[in-house]
Amino acid sequence: MESEQILDRWIPQFRKGLLEFIILLKLQQGNIYGYELAVEIKRLTEIEVAEGTLYPLLNRLKRDGLVTTEWQSVDGGSPRKYYEITPLGVETLVKMKTTWTQTHNSIFNMVMQS
Amino acid sequence: MTSTFPIKSETAQQVWNIFDRELIHKLKPLPEDERTDIRMEILSHLFESTVNNDNGSDTEEIRLINAISRLGSPEEYLDPLISDILLHQKASKGHPAAVLQSLRDSAKKSLLHGLMTLVLGMGYFWVIMLFIMSVMHIINPDVGIWYYPTGEISLSFSEQPDAMQWQTGWFSLIGIMSSSAAYWGLNKLLSYFISKSKA
Repeated sequence: MESEQILDRWIPQFRKGLLEFIILLKLQQGNIYGYELAVEIKRLTEIEVAEGTLYPLLNRLKRDGLVTTEWQSVDGGSPRKYYEITPLGVETLVKMKTTWTQTHNSIFNMVMQS
Repeated sequence: MTSTFPIKSETAQQVWNIFDRELIHKLKPLPEDERTDIRMEILSHLFESTVNNDNGSDTEEIRLINAISRLGSPEEYLDPLISDILLHQKASKGHPAAVLQSLRDSAKKSLLHGLMTLVLGMGYFWVIMLFIMSVMHIINPDVGIWYYPTGEISLSFSEQPDAMQWQTGWFSLIGIMSSSAAYWGLNKLLSYFISKSKA
């Protein structure tokens, strides 16, 4: 198998694993609704995932108490379900950031040594 | 629904209706409130995606079909959503198959989960045992809790020599009520454990 083919398989898996972390990071910047979140994630990370796959993740974050939701009506448009990060979500995100930084530094050192 | 999501072209409206019908069919296993919430969110996404990807050349129906395509296969996003919600609800309501499935899933995760599953599994075992014995006590009064002068206690299906039976007259009622309460408590604990273990 060509290395490009292996990378094509590895990159989406690697990025998908980070989606929950990315969602919480985005929510920390402000409330957001599903479609906007999907567009923002694509724009910021270039992660090519089916937009619908975000919803099981958002549902899980809600059940875990990391986010709350609220429907808001929009003049001349469709109603939107906004997601808001909770204090537990912020606390979890702080720990995720620490883990991310430690992992990133460790791997970065390994990459530099290789 | 048309007024909530104002689709203009007739063909696009037909595509929209077909998608909506499939969505309603897929979400049927869910309770009404969850069903409405998910359906509205998916339709809202679809509408936003159709409106915001207007390049001026594609017709509304083409933009809608593209939006459905970007959303992905319904199996990919609805199946995990539905199974997750159903498992959580059934387990918290004490549905035996869901309880068993939750315990199985939990046991596979890690050593800590395995230990917690063992503790919960033992809890369910003794609660069900007590319930069965309480029902059997109605037919056979010898079934019950026996205690010895030495202080030892025994759960037994037959009369025990040199032992006194605990609450002979009330054992069935106390047993059925306490085992039902304990089953409810274990379901709540399992439900809490499921939600925490997803973090």
